[in-house]
Amino acid sequence: MSKFYRYLNQPEGVKTKADQDSDEGMRVSRRGFLIGAAGAGFTLAFFRAGLSFAQPEDVVKDGTFEPTIWYQIEPDGRIIVNIAEAEMGQHVGTALARIVADELEADWSMVELNHVDSDPKWGLMVTGGSWSVWENFTPLSQAGAAGRIALIEEGARLLGVSPDQCEARNSQIIAGDQSISYGDIVSRGDLSRTYTADDLKKMPIKPATQRRLIGRESRALDIPDKTDGASRYGLDAKVDGMVYGRPLIPPTRYGATINNIDDSAAKSIKGYQQTIVLEDPTDTVPGWAVVIADSFHAANKAAEKVKVDWAAGDTADVSEQDILDHGVKLIESSDKGSIMFPDDGVDEAFNDAADIIEQDYITHTVLHVQMEPVNALAYEKEGVWEIHTGNQWQSLIIPVLAKALGVKEDKVVMRTYMLGGGFGRRLNGDYAVPAALASKKLGKPVKLVFTREDDTRFDSPRSASYQRMRMAFDNNGKPSGMEHHATAGWPTEVMAPFFMPKGANDEPYDPFSIQGAAHWYTVGPHRVRAISNDLANATFRPGWLRSVGSGWINFALESFMDEAARHANKDPIEFRLELLKTEGKNAGEAPNSVGGASRQANVLRRVRELSGWGQDLPKDTGLGVATSYGQERNMPTWTACVARVHVNRDTGHVKLEKLTLVTDAGTVVHPDGARAQVEGAALWGASMALHEGSRYEKGEPVDRNLDTYTPMRIRDVPEMELEFIDSTEVPVGLGEPATTVTGPAIANAIHAAIGVRIREIPITPEAVRKALNA
Amino acid sequence: MFKKILGGLLAFGALALGIFLLIAWESSIDPINTANPGAFSDEQIRRGEVLAGLGNCETCHTTDANKPFAGGRAMPTPFGTLYSTNITPDPKTGIGQWSESAFSRAMREGVSRSGSHLFPAFPYTHFTKLPDDDISDLYAYLMSRQAIQAEPPENTLEFPFNIRLLLAGWKLLFFDEGRYETVSSKSDEWNRGAYIAEGPGHCSACHTPRNALGAEDTGKAWEGAIINNWYAPALNASNPTPAGWTETEAYQYLRNGGSPFHGVAVGSMADVVHDGLKRAPDSDLKALAVWLSDLAQAPGEQQASERSASAIRTVQNTQNPSTVMDEGERLFTYACAACHYNEPETPNTLRPDMALNSAISAPTPVNLIRVTLNGVSLKEGIAEAMMPGFGEALSDRQIASLLAYLRATHTDQPAWANLEQQVRDQRP
Amino acid sequence: MATEFELNGQPVTVDIENDTPLLWALRDDLDLTGTKYGCGIGMCGACTVLVNGRATRSCITPVAAVSGATITTIEGLHPDGQHPLQKAWIETQTPQCGYCQSGQIMQAAAMLKDFPNPTDEQINNAMGGNLCRCMAYVRIRKAIKMAAKEMNTSGNTAQETGAAANE
Repeated sequence: MSKFYRYLNQPEGVKTKADQDSDEGMRVSRRGFLIGAAGAGFTLAFFRAGLSFAQPEDVVKDGTFEPTIWYQIEPDGRIIVNIAEAEMGQHVGTALARIVADELEADWSMVELNHVDSDPKWGLMVTGGSWSVWENFTPLSQAGAAGRIALIEEGARLLGVSPDQCEARNSQIIAGDQSISYGDIVSRGDLSRTYTADDLKKMPIKPATQRRLIGRESRALDIPDKTDGASRYGLDAKVDGMVYGRPLIPPTRYGATINNIDDSAAKSIKGYQQTIVLEDPTDTVPGWAVVIADSFHAANKAAEKVKVDWAAGDTADVSEQDILDHGVKLIESSDKGSIMFPDDGVDEAFNDAADIIEQDYITHTVLHVQMEPVNALAYEKEGVWEIHTGNQWQSLIIPVLAKALGVKEDKVVMRTYMLGGGFGRRLNGDYAVPAALASKKLGKPVKLVFTREDDTRFDSPRSASYQRMRMAFDNNGKPSGMEHHATAGWPTEVMAPFFMPKGANDEPYDPFSIQGAAHWYTVGPHRVRAISNDLANATFRPGWLRSVGSGWINFALESFMDEAARHANKDPIEFRLELLKTEGKNAGEAPNSVGGASRQANVLRRVRELSGWGQDLPKDTGLGVATSYGQERNMPTWTACVARVHVNRDTGHVKLEKLTLVTDAGTVVHPDGARAQVEGAALWGASMALHEGSRYEKGEPVDRNLDTYTPMRIRDVPEMELEFIDSTEVPVGLGEPATTVTGPAIANAIHAAIGVRIREIPITPEAVRKALNA
Repeated sequence: MFKKILGGLLAFGALALGIFLLIAWESSIDPINTANPGAFSDEQIRRGEVLAGLGNCETCHTTDANKPFAGGRAMPTPFGTLYSTNITPDPKTGIGQWSESAFSRAMREGVSRSGSHLFPAFPYTHFTKLPDDDISDLYAYLMSRQAIQAEPPENTLEFPFNIRLLLAGWKLLFFDEGRYETVSSKSDEWNRGAYIAEGPGHCSACHTPRNALGAEDTGKAWEGAIINNWYAPALNASNPTPAGWTETEAYQYLRNGGSPFHGVAVGSMADVVHDGLKRAPDSDLKALAVWLSDLAQAPGEQQASERSASAIRTVQNTQNPSTVMDEGERLFTYACAACHYNEPETPNTLRPDMALNSAISAPTPVNLIRVTLNGVSLKEGIAEAMMPGFGEALSDRQIASLLAYLRATHTDQPAWANLEQQVRDQRP
Repeated sequence: MATEFELNGQPVTVDIENDTPLLWALRDDLDLTGTKYGCGIGMCGACTVLVNGRATRSCITPVAAVSGATITTIEGLHPDGQHPLQKAWIETQTPQCGYCQSGQIMQAAAMLKDFPNPTDEQINNAMGGNLCRCMAYVRIRKAIKMAAKEMNTSGNTAQETGAAANE
């Protein structure tokens, strides 16, 4: 079930020797399903392997069922779907619940969501990678179908008819002119059942034509509370007796120690209590202190007056340029890094090439700046540590919290709140650690609030990247080999190294930091070398940020494909289409990537039509294209984008006028939510290309707040035209793929408009002017 | 020879001193028993209240809102700090023992009941224009206030400015005693406005620059001046705002504390509008507006609207259409435009437009700096509207770039010098 | 110091430091957490509330500055959360993470008083101080126009939000 284990099993682009029958894999395949009484209603849930002989009631009572999603049907007919995924704007609960409800033939108006806590018994909890719908679709369909079958059987019994006379529809079992509601069945009947894994596999899943909720327009269940202030985010958490804390963050991410603290000036602040130094056995927050006060305002004011003398760590002078220079050095050391998949014939291809092109690409640091600065409320209650905060990957941080607090993992529970933006920042739950440590030290509840400046300094940013692309052409001017060398800070190496697969040279690599490179173009032998930038890793904690590596990888790859097309004197779309051949490793595999390169070619052709590619445009205006498979070869979201820009040659200002995007995400479960995700993701990509980007100076990001860090605002939004390919294939992720194409499409459009190539994002007016003057 | 000269000088000096003392000497006027408020008619008191409002006596003579007219307000001057006096009818610390003639002499000649000269921070140079009736009405009003016992702090003027007798010399140079004289070529309404402005309203006390000895520089009348660390803009034709002070505009401003083509009243002017002029009838404010628009040589209403629209449009047309902006423009776009953006044809007083605002086109940035740092309180500007200060949110450099951007793009005036330093200097 | 004001139609008193930003007074002392903290420097708009009907960034407004004022927060925009803007926000499915939306809606409510039929240009300027990190801007624009249309046709004007008259 785990998303991350899939990387061990089947990393990007290659089957490794990692066994297909890992424990996790086996467990998934042997999972059964049960229905058991719970209070007045019934719980319907997967049960774990090894529990198949247990009584459903016991499993329900003990909560020993498989956690990812389960649901309850109440006597009043309400269907409560439990969601372990974090809600951060993707309306994930709505999408998942609709999958269940469709098969269950439920009345959608009776469906409610319940976001669960992180009780360790629920197992792995992570929301990221745009995986939620993709990985849950089949099991949830089966879970819905199992419930429907049970309701039909029990409904038939209560109506005194045979099940095959019955039909389930809109939370009713109907037999001719008789009917009984699900609520009545729950009240009067007994749904208790178990289904083995084999039973479950045989569940009659409805054909796509009979779907009543999936693919239909609907409203997200989390939205109304987000229009009247009722939604509760981590920052809204409160408990009696809590004090407020504001962190004092040292000048370096690692290795800082406190020499001295002088809080004498802070004592005049009304409500100031004390400043405590954190002792952190996990080294998550080395050299931290926390200002404690009665109110956040007092903590905030006092923090300005507390003088801390730090001994900084080793990275106190590191700059963005140092990190990039180090990247170049790493790329030029051919023994560094991990070769993602076997690269036989690459050197020969380049040796025999009639022609070779080579280009370097840079992307700068990107900050998350999720709207809600990180925060956490921590306290101990009856021997259990309660951590109240918004988080995307509870399972990653709970062991760290347990170690920090010196307790067993089952003594730490995370209460889930709405996330005021995730974008990957909250996959890394490090911000909960100082709250827990402070609470432990004080023996009372601590609400730790980071100011925006604190949040930015403590961000796990998208690392700066440096990439070198090479392409060999044969005598016919056709690509005959390709190399892609990419270096950046690696979040997975720093935070979850156990999830790093090994490459063909037995070196581990961060799959997220190289995803996108294993493209579907047929270009001859292909070498992808992923290199961890250890200077970046030491200077900050690199983060997963919306689409992670696909963001910078595709900027280089799709810019370079454009350069290659122009080198080959081909139309950029035509050039790509010729390379998107449905053959060999690019033929695709059922179920996820069925169709392979042909589906990528399809979105590309469609975006060509929609965008008016080839039309006459005003002066200094151009169209640029980019396409990608989203993030993962085994969960491809086929995406193509055409950007139209106008460039002011005098000022170097780039005006993004229009984005046209075509997406093939297989079955679209929640169409409006899908559009919202593509709108947001596409604009994120554009924002990173034109508006964002920071840089490290003296070991810290220079931008601290929204006065200098400037994500896209409403006036910057271009005209947008989005289209989804009508499909009944496996539904795949949508939260991130569009992020990967807008940046390179913009850079390519600039080239089309004014004939200069920008190989660095963010694209600044200065860079455009410089390129024009070169 | 030397002795002779010295002797001559001494003799001349003694003579001059003698003459001076003769002129300077003012007698004490006998105290009275505190006047009986019942002696004044309600009508007279009401008229007095309007006059007190037009003169905004209360602001200067009050420190604690619960003790109106009890004095004690500090008035920093280049020569030291003066404290306003208690003008309640308290016999000991106020003016309870002042007869109407003593009051009249103070108002018109700048001499206290005891005979000592009053510092011209008390604008008797203007109040001298009040006719007898107005003096009586004002006296009636003040004498019917609640008596409050409160001794203002001692003035802290430096030598020799603390010698009151020297004020007689000052008066010789800068004070013309006498009532307002009607200008026959102008309308009654204009004359009423001019009387209010020059007399009780003492507008030029703030809006005309002062010379080295603290007197209004009549050669630069109405050209605008710094007072109490605020800039009181020029009221004559040299005022550089695009639209000018039409009658409608001036009336709205004086009545409401803000007008669409100029912005809102802050600092001392907010006190004038909201503490003082609020007591005056519309007719007086309209008269003031008539006089002001004449002084300012305002364009016609239609022309003013066109100029204002054109100024806004010009700014909007030169706005950076792109998405990447320099610091000042970016800060304006993110932090200011939400409240300050207008359609060219319909600038809204509640959304003061920076293309029209007096603070942007003023020769000094002090008003703009102070408002940016500290905001506009609910009591200032238009009633019930406020602006938060950005003092804690933005750095000196950021505010300087924001203001420099506004100055460069929203006016045709020369850039302000040393903006960042000026911002720093204005921080509390 | 105690500060008194009217909050969503009710008189309230908070006895806190005068310089406490209104934002924290609302969230921590008055338990209205719908108003959000995003930047603390008036650059993101998440903390927008109405002070006497005008959109105001509560993170940089000291609580003492609103003494005697009428404050409307997202919780008080409409008793049932059915202000035309709120309805339009749901109709267009605008919120993603939702964190900025209280501020967006309050800013839009104030804007519609000044610009009842907002053009794109007016929206760009009046909403330019409100950052949406999910980039739900396409829908924010759509929702504003939808709400404006409803308010203009139903005569459902902004007065109900406690707005002061314009002039």
